[in-house]
Amino acid sequence: MKVEKRKVLQIVLVTVMILMSLFFLFPVAWMIANSFKGDAQITADMNSAAAFIPPAPGGDFFDNYVYIFTDTNFIRYMVNTLFYAAILIVLGVIVNGLAGYALAKIKFPFSDKWILIIMMLMIIPSETIITINFLFVAKMGLLNTVIGYILPMIVSPFNIFLFRQVFVGLPDDTYEAAQLDFCGPIKYFFTMVLPMSKAVVATVSVFTFLNVWNDYLWPSLIFTSSDLLTAQIGLNAITSNDNTTMGQTLAVITMITIPVIIVYSFFSKQIVEGVIATGSKEG
Amino acid sequence: MAFIQLKNICKKYPGAAKNSVTDFNLEIEEKEFIAFVGPSGCGKTTTLQMIAGFEEITEGELFIDGKRMNQVAPRDRGIAMVFQNYALYPHMTVEKNISYGLKNMKVPADEIKRKTDWAINLLGLDEYRKRKPKNLSGGQRQRVALGRAIVKNQKVFLMDEPLSNLDAKLRVSMRSEISKLHRQLGSTTIYVTHEQVEAMTMADRIVIMKDGVIQQVGKPMELYEHPVNKFVAGFIGSPQMNFYDVTVEGSCVLFPDGSKIILPDNVLKNLNGKTGPMILGIRGEDIKLDGLNLDLLKDSVQSSVVDNVEIMGNENNLYFNFGGSTTIARVSKYEVSQLGDSISFVFMPTKLHFFDKDTEEALF
Repeated sequence: MKVEKRKVLQIVLVTVMILMSLFFLFPVAWMIANSFKGDAQITADMNSAAAFIPPAPGGDFFDNYVYIFTDTNFIRYMVNTLFYAAILIVLGVIVNGLAGYALAKIKFPFSDKWILIIMMLMIIPSETIITINFLFVAKMGLLNTVIGYILPMIVSPFNIFLFRQVFVGLPDDTYEAAQLDFCGPIKYFFTMVLPMSKAVVATVSVFTFLNVWNDYLWPSLIFTSSDLLTAQIGLNAITSNDNTTMGQTLAVITMITIPVIIVYSFFSKQIVEGVIATGSKEG
Repeated sequence: MAFIQLKNICKKYPGAAKNSVTDFNLEIEEKEFIAFVGPSGCGKTTTLQMIAGFEEITEGELFIDGKRMNQVAPRDRGIAMVFQNYALYPHMTVEKNISYGLKNMKVPADEIKRKTDWAINLLGLDEYRKRKPKNLSGGQRQRVALGRAIVKNQKVFLMDEPLSNLDAKLRVSMRSEISKLHRQLGSTTIYVTHEQVEAMTMADRIVIMKDGVIQQVGKPMELYEHPVNKFVAGFIGSPQMNFYDVTVEGSCVLFPDGSKIILPDNVLKNLNGKTGPMILGIRGEDIKLDGLNLDLLKDSVQSSVVDNVEIMGNENNLYFNFGGSTTIARVSKYEVSQLGDSISFVFMPTKLHFFDKDTEEALF
């Protein structure tokens, strides 16, 4: 009886989850299907189920994408963003990881107070300090440079906290054993701590990537040169152009969405593991 | 000069009211196997950590091979350590765990391979060399931890309760493996345990600690036969020594329940005329129930009723009330007694231990 009840509950649960997934997939499917159509066909299909069905592959099937690839700089913007994300992932893991490690394992004056300060910083929205960051970068003469863009984005109180929470659980005797194996503290961090904390490294990397990929405000303030623009600004530039069609707009949006979907699909396990390990969620 | 010297070593943690280790003095010879034993919180692991360099020495001096080590980093002390929880590197295979230290020491690759293969073969880990620690049993992990320690060819081995996470059967086999390894390698070993059986079976000398203070240092049988105080007498031996609050009057020992035994001349001579209240101790195996001893010591025959029997297989432990407290006699498996049986017994007079009532120090 109990087993049957559990089965019924499971079926209900799965059905609800499938319906919810469809609800969220609904606009995505619409976007992808229409990204292969011309404006006339999009308008014609608007009030029917055909709005969710891509056209039959033919001569003009990829026209919208060909336009984006050949007539705009969007690929360049995407490569720029991937490059910034890669740098920020590497630097973010190193800098925030080292800070998290210090807070978790090294005894220094007021170390317990520091973590409180870091936690308080987590509640400050980044938008509220963006003017200060801008002035700071401008004073250093780094406006319209990659360094100026990256510098204020490296340190993240949330990532420090995430690392700290995981590193606290690492056994101290592993460090002692490593010391006797002639492993210094920096080498220990890179060859032991980070490999032993793959889940949190993956989580921080994914969060950093998504943050950089979706960021609009900071790059729009810092960059004026079109060579350095990010995908989100590129998207705005392309879609606000009067000559861009609806189909082309949807093709750009599809392209900007795909990396996010890929990241979530491949790293969903690490994201869940990392967030569970820290007992927190992104603020 | 001893190979390892600990001179007046003290450890006090910041904010603590008293020392965790107080005035620890010990000289350890080269190739010796020393065991630190004591109950939880007695300071044995803290002392080991100070020798390793993971804990700062508050006071006193530590010398290894003639060099003062107080300010020397752990890696430069010439030690290898086996940790209680193994402390293996979880993301590395058995082979990499063992060879990691050698790589950091910049040992040539062919030498690393030779030494790693030697350790792996010596410890019977060949078929597991590509496995990660999570895919090994407790005993196999322990052997990897030993492999990691021996491969670096250090002069001193420190072992911090290395068998405490293993089951009883595996503990016995690992005990003999560690002893064999020690004989083979000839390294100086300091072994921390709270299991007196491990210390008794493996160590050349045992250091018994309580509340951060050394109680006694000696060979296993010295400690067993001649404990310097009641704590050592009670800590070493299983079942533990029986203790009674007694009064010695002349050659007579009076128990609180009115029982009495007569002391022979040689014991009286050892007591050196001391009389009055004191603590008497006797080990379970020195309480005899056989006819021969009952005949020989007929003036001191006592009787009681068995209220519990522990059958150990090779011997039996009989529990009964005597002298105002529970007494445990360890008898041969052939001396069968049942619950409720009346028994007669004698204390072997030469095996009696007397302790001062106030200081609990042994009187001889």
